[in-house]
Order: sequence, then structure tokens, then C-alpha cells
Amino acid sequence: MISQVFILSSQGDHLIYKDFRGEAGSDVVNLFYEKVTALTGDQPPVVMRHKDVHFVHVRQGGLYWVATTTADTSPFTIIEFLNRLTALVKDYCGSLSERSVQMNFALIYELLDEVVDYGYIQTTSSDILKNFIQTEAVSSKPFSLFDLSNVGLFGAETQQSKVAPSSAATRPIQSSRDQGGKSEIFVDVIERMLVVIGSNGVLMKADIEGEIKVKCYMPTCSEMRIGLNEEFSIGKSQLRGYGAAVRVDECSFHQAVRLDEFDSLRILRLCPSQGEQTVMQYQLSDDLPSAPPFRLFPTIERDNGGRLLMYMKLRCDLPPKSAGINVSATIPVPKGSVSLSQELSSPDQSAELQPQSRAVVWKIPRFPGGTQLSALFKLEVPGFSSASMLEVGPVSLSFELPKITATGLQIRFLRLSPFQPGPAQRWVRYVTHSDSYTIRI
Amino acid sequence: MTDSKYFTTTKKGEIFELKAELNSDKKEKKKEAVKKVIASMTVGKDVSALFPDVVNCMQTDNLELKKLVYLYLMNYAKSQPDMAIMAVNTFVKDCEDPNPLIRALAVRTMGCIRVDKITEYLCEPLRKCLKDEDPYVRKTAAVCVAKLHDINAQLVEDQGFLDTLKDLISDSNPMVVANAVAALSEIAESHPNSNLLDLNPQTINKLLTALNECTEWGQIFILDCLANYTPRDDRESQSICERVTPRLSHANSAVVLSAVKVLMKFMEMLPKDLDYYGTLLKKLAPPLVTLLSAEPELQYVALRNINLIVQRRPEILKHEMKVFFVKYNDPIYVKLEKLDIMIRLASQANIAQVLAELKEYATEVDVDFVRKAVRAIGRCAIKVEQSAERCVSTLLDLIQTKVNYVVQEAIVVIKDIFRKYPNKYESVIATLCENLDSLDEPEARAAMIWIVGEYAERIDNADELLESFLEGFHDESTQVQLQLLTAIVKLFLKKPTETQELVQQVLSLATQDSDNPDLRDRGYIYWRLLSTDPVAAKEVVLAEKPLISEETDLIEPTLLEELICHIGTLASVYHKPPSAFVEGSRGVQHKRLPGSAGSGESVESPDVASAPGVSEAPPAVIPSQGDLLGDLLNLDLTPPTTTGPPPPSSGMQMGAMDLLGGGLDSLLGGDLGGSPAMGGGFGAAPAAMPASFTAPVSGGLDDLFDLGGGVGMPMGAYSPPKTVWLPAMKAKGLEISGTFARRSGVVQMEMTLTNKAMSVMTDFAIQFNRNSFGLAPAGPLQVLTPLSPNQSIEVTLPLNTVGPVMKMEPLNNLQVAVKNNIDVFYFSCQYPISMLFAEDGKMERQVFLATWKDIPNENESQFQIKDCHLNSDAASNKLQGSNIFTIAKRTVEGQDMLYQSMKLSNGIWLLAELRVQAGNPNYTVSLKCRAPEVSQCVFQSYEAVLKN
Repeated sequence: MISQVFILSSQGDHLIYKDFRGEAGSDVVNLFYEKVTALTGDQPPVVMRHKDVHFVHVRQGGLYWVATTTADTSPFTIIEFLNRLTALVKDYCGSLSERSVQMNFALIYELLDEVVDYGYIQTTSSDILKNFIQTEAVSSKPFSLFDLSNVGLFGAETQQSKVAPSSAATRPIQSSRDQGGKSEIFVDVIERMLVVIGSNGVLMKADIEGEIKVKCYMPTCSEMRIGLNEEFSIGKSQLRGYGAAVRVDECSFHQAVRLDEFDSLRILRLCPSQGEQTVMQYQLSDDLPSAPPFRLFPTIERDNGGRLLMYMKLRCDLPPKSAGINVSATIPVPKGSVSLSQELSSPDQSAELQPQSRAVVWKIPRFPGGTQLSALFKLEVPGFSSASMLEVGPVSLSFELPKITATGLQIRFLRLSPFQPGPAQRWVRYVTHSDSYTIRI
Repeated sequence: MTDSKYFTTTKKGEIFELKAELNSDKKEKKKEAVKKVIASMTVGKDVSALFPDVVNCMQTDNLELKKLVYLYLMNYAKSQPDMAIMAVNTFVKDCEDPNPLIRALAVRTMGCIRVDKITEYLCEPLRKCLKDEDPYVRKTAAVCVAKLHDINAQLVEDQGFLDTLKDLISDSNPMVVANAVAALSEIAESHPNSNLLDLNPQTINKLLTALNECTEWGQIFILDCLANYTPRDDRESQSICERVTPRLSHANSAVVLSAVKVLMKFMEMLPKDLDYYGTLLKKLAPPLVTLLSAEPELQYVALRNINLIVQRRPEILKHEMKVFFVKYNDPIYVKLEKLDIMIRLASQANIAQVLAELKEYATEVDVDFVRKAVRAIGRCAIKVEQSAERCVSTLLDLIQTKVNYVVQEAIVVIKDIFRKYPNKYESVIATLCENLDSLDEPEARAAMIWIVGEYAERIDNADELLESFLEGFHDESTQVQLQLLTAIVKLFLKKPTETQELVQQVLSLATQDSDNPDLRDRGYIYWRLLSTDPVAAKEVVLAEKPLISEETDLIEPTLLEELICHIGTLASVYHKPPSAFVEGSRGVQHKRLPGSAGSGESVESPDVASAPGVSEAPPAVIPSQGDLLGDLLNLDLTPPTTTGPPPPSSGMQMGAMDLLGGGLDSLLGGDLGGSPAMGGGFGAAPAAMPASFTAPVSGGLDDLFDLGGGVGMPMGAYSPPKTVWLPAMKAKGLEISGTFARRSGVVQMEMTLTNKAMSVMTDFAIQFNRNSFGLAPAGPLQVLTPLSPNQSIEVTLPLNTVGPVMKMEPLNNLQVAVKNNIDVFYFSCQYPISMLFAEDGKMERQVFLATWKDIPNENESQFQIKDCHLNSDAASNKLQGSNIFTIAKRTVEGQDMLYQSMKLSNGIWLLAELRVQAGNPNYTVSLKCRAPEVSQCVFQSYEAVLKN
């Protein structure tokens, strides 16, 4: 049971405070802020306790979303609830920020009243909630020239409008009531890779976590059908024939998803509610359908002058037409490294030594598939010893692979029924992120 | 126009402005004004003065405005109870409104106005709303019953709302069912004995049906409610499990965890050989693994739960080691939890993989994490014996890095490895010694000193090493000082010739120049031991230490069982029972796992009314007067702490020892020939000590005083059945029944503590009064978890015989004081004297004959044992089990004569002649002893042993 819910700005200002059960006073709000700001790095911040009051919080949009309880409640429930609450507020107010929360406080109070009653969570589905919510959202979108960018010359459709602007998905769901014509639906397939490559180049661990998210901005949508690859299979035993099957180990679905056509046709049926929802989550452990996207060939040695030479060759094994973007490699270096000189293979790359984190960070804005980049780093390390060598590595990479899914999962089709009056824009987007991509040296 | 402007008005006279606006005719203006009021309320300004004006706005058909006004009401009604009555009429009217939204809104708000006076007006509308045609109103009304119950429980019962609520469990709308279940569960918690949530197979069936249809949050209420149900048999348990399993693939982790809780609990009831049991185990792994791909907050909470599950059922996740490998971008608190689980899952099969990971972690940047990783390598070595060698070499590699904190952690864990595998890895000592100078943390210094002391004979310059530490003795922390003292004494005992100066120096530093009582006391003990009986000192200080156990950090099993019942709750994150952090009645009932199939009833408390055993005298509670009591009360009853190894609190009487005896000579032997300087040096300080003193002695030492030891005889010594020593009536609900036993040469008191009171008992401690044979507890009473009502616990208390001696009547009487958080209780009991027969009680034949003759005839006593149908060999075997040894046997005219000897723990020998005539059930025992008082007790023991 949730006793209180409050939202604080990062400076500790009270934005929203709602007491459901009258078990604790409002002084705990400041207490929470004192506690959370006094935490040290290794203390788990998730659940904190002051006498009989237990605080559970998440941080989103730069705000603290806190729930208190005095009973032995499930922290999972509370964390899930707070995450849903942030999603709801985002759906209703368009974005998550101190400003949007402040501007829409009446709406958020109304939401909280419907979502939680006497500490019992009632519903977090925007579909049900829209029957009850009266207050209109106040949008804070500033006027921007960028919004004009997809207005074509003489009204002609330009190339740009084929790509959904990234801001398209951040707007309040209710505004679709007024705007009427503009109905859109976004289906995002997002995957995260967790890879460890050993110093001998062996793939030691490769996990993929993925999710299909639907963002729906349509006034009326009774049902949509999402078709996945037909050869999609779950679990090890289910491989049908051979060939390039798309396999995952485990998947779970949003409860609104109906699976009657899933087993035979790999079709997900659902009635999306307004706003954002995760329709399906899946994961694949210890298996990559294709080669890992990046490989590193390091050579590390000392030169006569006692400097540490690190020669790094980084190869991108994606198909030639694809590319990794925002690639950044973090290479830990020995303690006390003072200066860095570098030779990079192309001018758009950059590298710097960050003494605080004891690492060289090498950034590559765009890295096309099938190419190879190299860099030579020379480091001055006073007091270099053989043990310092051990402090080099492991290299961690972070990157984004647009239009690629590591599992090979694709959306075959996206059908809305009954047929929508007026044009409904349908967007399907794929992206793979690095969750943790480590290459040991 | 945006709402944010409401937060910016801070002018004076603002209240008046608002007042005017609230009374404005224009609806828009009114709404704006109420919004401003609520904005002020949020930032903590007091706007209660506007109460009447806001209440005036309540009469409106604008739902948005109404909601705002209600929001205000909920906040301020409590501070203005009289004014709140003003709102009642509107509420009652709104409850009749044709719009269900307004009806629900009214009933919801009314419940939140926590004013006693309002509740009576609330009853009628609530009754109507509970039967409303609209499910939205019904589900709101269901919650309202819980609200009302919190304000006025009696009223709810009187008005019959509870029955209506029970009916709602069968409602057609799953949301209503879920809320009714939630409300009933909460109300039931405050009435632990009421049968509110009458869970029977029919209701369970209804709940399981509703489970498939309601929202994710409703599913959580229902699953949590199911977890409180105890199925009748394994078949019902299996069918519930089958219907709950689909929840495991829910996207909401709270639903998953609640389902895991139900399954973990009901699984206890399933027979392990069932196919379904195996299937279920397999199904539990993937959802738990999935939780690890959530946000770090959820991951952390999930890991804390997995930590519990892994301890209870390691088989679930034994193949999933890899998912617990840390990612470089995990927050540190997630990394540390993952490490912990990795160790728990480590086994011979995966140890190579784990070690390779740990080695990588040990070179990372984060200091805390690196330390934990190094410790983890040590724990692997202790847990998986086959990996010890590899762990040690990994640790040596890490020491080579010379990274200061890595080296120090490595040394600390190597010390533990030495404790587990003594005399196996000393080859590494040389490497360790090279790093002596870099150690600056007390724990690492203490560990290093321990290693040097323990292996002093193999380190050539051990004395130099220890001497170097001694220079800054007073600047060291207590931990290091204590360790240094012990190490030097060890060194002295091993190499007495070269190190006298060193040992004298450290003893005087510890006893004369130190303010720390622990240090001083330990110093005195060593000093006295060395000066009295160096051979004993050797036995004490260099005694073999018990091996450290592999799983010292496991959660105590009963606590674990309780925590498993609380999976997915705060208790599982804190790893503490809910009673430790939830105040009041809610949630403090201790939950237990159901027993496995076929032994479902075994959780009940053991039969306390068992037949009386050998102690013929009924247990008597010592009357609360008399001199005896004084003795007991003066004893310091220290309750054992519940965390970590509790320090033994038994005081030891050392007065009997000869303080100034020059026994040192025998140790020093011919080398020194008892140099006068030494004798003087040792004699001086102890002379100043009190004749008897009590000292806390660390665990290892403690065992050494247990003189019972000798040849370990695992055969069954006779132990009488348990009898009730302390009836619950005389001890405020605490019942103690118990018996004595001798196991492997150690006398033990085995007790069953039963809590028959209504409240939890904690802080148990025990003390004995002086008794005939100096029996005393060898350690504190190990009751680590609180004893909850109707729970009983079995405790075994090892005893020693070095306590203070006083002759009792009868001789084997023992007076005991037991303390708990409620009071101190006294009782007395009698132990069979056969407990004190030592294992080395077999006399040489010749000695026996001589002794028999030597003891005057008036010391001989004769007894008859009637109705014993054993032959002489069987009797002899039986008696041997209780350390009564047959030395010779003679047959004269069909009569078997057995000559037997036994030795009491205080060294008194007893000789006996047992005559057994074939066909005659009556035996004759003749006892001869220099202390004839014991004969009666010995005879009783004979009879008890032979007849059981």
C-alpha cells in the first residue's frame, strides 16, 4: 500500500504532494531529500528507511518520483507503479520536466486520484483513464524553426517528411482530440546488446534484450495487428527446419496483447491505448545471430622513452550499407597517466584523456560497416611498472546501430482495423544500442 | 496561459484576493482561484483559512471544479472538523447523482475525510454504493470500507459492511473483486484471528478465475492473497501452481514476483520426485533472469530477492551463472549484489568461469568493487575445495600488481584460506612477507600478524617481523594489538629461547600500558597461563582451531524461511523480518513455509508432556527468596547479539589456579634451567591481580577449557527423554523442557523453548548457579531469531565443568536462570550423573585391583536393580555406551560378575561390581568410591541406563 506520493525537483522543490492514507506527515518530504542527497556511491538508493516510513523512488526527467509506505509492501509494485506514473505524466503532458509537471499540477493531481485510491493502485492504463480525466493538458512546446522543416515547398511532400521527426513522439495524447486529422502510430523495435569479448578474441558472452514499443496517437483505434518474421521462434527446442531463423530465448507480452494468431502466424493483436506502451519484451542469451558488430585489435607496448604506446585497430563488421553512430570507446589507462598524444585515421574522430575516470575516450561519430579505423595513443606514465600494464583495459564501447536489429527481428506488416478514416501515419523504427559492450585486453 | 503562474504569487494579502475570486460569479474565475489555492497548498502554505469559501464552490456541476474542491477538502477537513460537516450534504446528494463518476468521486472523497463525525453520515451512502449498478462505483466503495475501518472499525462491523465486502469477492467485475480482496486482506491483518478472508477451495477458485481477467495491479492483490492460503494437499497445491504459472511471463515485474512468491511457497508441498516439480523449477528461472534486464532500481530489488531464492533453492538458477556477471556500466550497488550471488552459485562445474571473471573485476577502477571482488575470490576458495589452489595463485597474481588496496584485501582473504586449509599453502608466505610495509589498514595488518604468528616456526625472521610491529604498538587499533599479543605468545611457545624479551615486552605493553580492558584481560590470561603451566599454555594457545565453515554468511534457516514467504516485499530487500521494521499490528504475523507432503503436521511444537525421565524429583521453580537467588542475580546475564558470532559471556573462575607456581621451567626445560630473571618477570604482575577474575575469552580459547574432551566416542550415551523444567504458567508464557546428553565427549543441555505467550520473545540468556561438579555453559544460549508466539525452538547448549563448585543437595541438582526480554526465570533440574563419566574412564586391571583393595570397606554400598532382563554382555555393552567400562568378567556358579570402572569429570574414580544371575531379573551393584556421596546418583544412572 502506498502511503504518499510526491514529486520533487532536483533542487528539492515540492512539485506534487499527495497523501493517501494519512500515516505520515508532509515533513517526510524534506527528510527524503536530505537522505537522498546524502547518499554515497555504493549505497543502494532504491529503498530507504526513516523509522517507520520507507521511501521508494525513481529518477526520471531530472525529477524524484517518490512513494512512501509504512507496511511491508512490494517494492516491485511501487517501482513499477512509479515508472508507469512517469509514463502517464509524459503521455498526458507531452514531456517530463520540472516545467511540465509544474504547469500541469491540477492534471497530475487528478491522475493520481484516479490511479491510486487509499494506497491501492487502481489502473495505469491511459485507455481507462481517459474516461475520467477532465483537466486539459498545458503543453510547453516552444516555437521552433525546426517544426517548419517538414513543410515542403508549395506543400509538396519532401524527402524529409518520410522520416518522422524525433519530436513527433513527444506530445500529449489528449491533443489528438483537438487536432483530429493528425493520427499517427509508431512501432519501435529497440534492442540492447550485452557483449564481452575475451582478450583472445573469443566471444565470451553475448546477450540481447529487446522490446517492441507502440506509441499511439489516434483517436479511435480498435485493433492493430503486428506481424513479426514468420520464422520467429522462442526457446531452443522450437527451431523449425534450418536456415536463418530469428530466435529468442524468452519473451513476455503486455497484457492487452492477444496471442491467438501468434503461435501459427506470428501476429500480435492488440488494441493500443493512447500513449506509449511496451508490447513485447524478449531476450536472447549467449547467442548472436551474426558476428559482433565491432572488433578491436590492440597492441600495447612501451617505447624506449618509457611511454605507453597503444595501437588500436577497430573494425566494424556490419553490412556495408549500415553504420554505427555515436561510437565511443573508453580505454582505461594506468593511474597517473599525464599526457596523451594521438594519431587518428580520420579527422572526424576525436580522443581525449580523462584523468578523473582514468581513461582515454575515443569518439567516432559515424562508422560505416565493413571499414576499419585505427588510432595510436601515446601516454606519458610516470612511475610505470609492469603492474601498470594490468591496469590497461578492458575497453568498453558504446554505440547506436540505427535500422538494425541484432536478433534479425523485423516487423512484417502493421495493419489497423477497422480501416481508419483519414490518413493514419504508421512508422516502424529499428535501433540497437550497446548496453554493455566490453572487449578485454 | 499556463498553470505555473499559480506558484509565483507570493504577495501579502493574497488570501483576501483569493477569497474574493472564490466568491466570484464567473465559473472560470472560480476554477482559477481554486487552482491557485491548491498550488499554495502543494508548496506548503497554509490556506486553511479559505475553507468555507472553497466549500461554497462545491455545489457545481462542473466535474473539473468539483474534483479540485474535493482535493482541497481531503487535505484540510481534518484540521477543520466542524466546517467539514458543512460539506456532508453535498456528499450525500452527490452519492445519488445519475452520473456514476460523481457518485464514485463522492464516496471516494468522503472516505478520505478522516473526521469521526462524518463517518456516521457516510454509512448510508456507502451501503448504497456497495450495491451500485456501476462497477466503477462498486470498486471505489469497496476501498472505502477499508478507509472507514481504519477510522472506526467497530462501526464497520456493526453496519455489516464486512459481509457485503465478502460478497463482492464473487462480483462479476474483476476490478471489484481485486479491490474487495485488497480491502479484506488489509482489514484481516488488523484482526489476525478473525476468519475474514475465509480462504477455501471455492473462494480460491473464484480468485483464480478473476486473476485472468483483472488489471495487472489487481492481479498483484489476488496473488498476494493466494500466498496466504495453505492448500490441503499436494494435488491442490499443484493445481494452483498450474494456474499461477502463466503470470510468470507478465511484463509487470511486480506480478511476476508475486507469482514467484506463491510458487515458492506452494512448491514446499510438492513431492520432489514429482515430474511437475522439475517442470516448475525450470519455469522459474527465465522470469527471474528477465528481471535483470530492467532498470537498475528494479534490478537491485530483484537481485536481493534472487539472493534469497538461491539460498533456498540453488537448483533453480544453477545454470544461469552468466547472467550475474557484472556489466561495466552497472551501478555499484547492483555490482556488489551480483558478486554475492555469483559466489552463492559457484560450484565445481563453473568455478573456472567465475574465477576468470573475478580476476577481471579485480583490475577495475572502482575501489569498493575491486575489494569485494578480491574477497569473493577468497570465498570461492573456501566454498569450492577443488578451486582453492587456483584461487591462491590468482590472489598471488593480484598481490604482484602491488596495488595497495588489492594487496591488503588479498592478504585478508589468504588468512581465511589458511584457516580453511591449514598447512597447505605456506609456500606463499614468503611473498606475503614482502608486502609487509605496504599494509596500512588494521584488518590487513591483523591478518598478516596472524599469519606470521601461526606459522612462526617456518618463518626464519618471525621475531624481527613481529618486533617491527611492536614499535608502534600504542598507535595500532585494538584488532591489531590483540592479534600482535597472541602472535607473539605463539611465537614464544614455539621458539622460547630467543623470544623471551619480546614476549615480556608485549605482555607488559598489554597489561600495564594499555587502557583497553579486552587487551589487558587477554594479556593477563596469557601471562598467568605462561607462569602457571606452560604445557597447558601451549595446549591453549596453540590448540587446533576449528575449520571455518564454507558458508558463514548464509542467512539463518528460520529467518530464510520467513523471508521466502515475503518475497517481493520490503522484507526481502532489507533481508529482515517485517516485524523488525513495521510498527503496529500490520504485517507482523510471522509466516512460515508449509511442510512438505506427508509431514505437514511436523511444524507443531513437540510433545511437551512427555513421560518423566530419570530425574524423579519434579522440576521445581526456585522460590524468589533466599541466598541462592542472590548468587544468580549477581551473575551478568548478557543476551547474545543476533548478528555475527556472539562473544561467549561465560565468566570463568580462575582463582583455583596456582598463580605463582614456577611451572615455566618445564617448558623451558634444560635450555634455560629456570632462570630467576624469568620467574621474577612473570611473577610480579600477576601477583597484583585479583584472586579470581572473569574475562571474556574468544571462541577458540573457550573450547579449550572444555575439559570433557578425550577420545571422541560417537556411540550413543544414554540421555533421558525431555521433561518440562519450567512450566509456562510460572514463566510468563515461556516453557522450557529439556534433557542432558553427552555427545562426543561434550556434555550438552538440550532444551526446547516454547513461546506460549502472545508476544515475541527475544534476548535469551542462561546462567547456572554453582553446583556440585562445576557445570557451566560453554557458550551463550544460541537463540538467534526472536521466538514468536506458539513457536518452539530446539537449543543445544554445550557445557563445561570448569565453573564454580558448591555441593548441592541432591548432588546432581542444577539451578538455572533463564532470561529473556520479559523477565528472568529460575528453575532447577537434575542431570544424570552418567553425563559426567569421562571417555578415558577405563582403568588398568592391576590398578583396578589395587584400588579396589585400597578403598576402605565402609565406602562400599550395594544396590539392587530390579526387573532387568538383559544378559551380562548386553548390559556391559549398554553401560559402555555411557562410559561405564567393563574391565573384567568372572563367572561363578552361573553368576556373572562384571568389574567396572568410571571416572567423573572432576577426576574421581568409581569402581563397581555388577552381579547378574541367569534367569534372575534382579541385579546387584556394589559401588566403591573414595567419595561415597556420589554412590546414590551413580546407582540411579545405572538403573536408568540399563532400563532404557
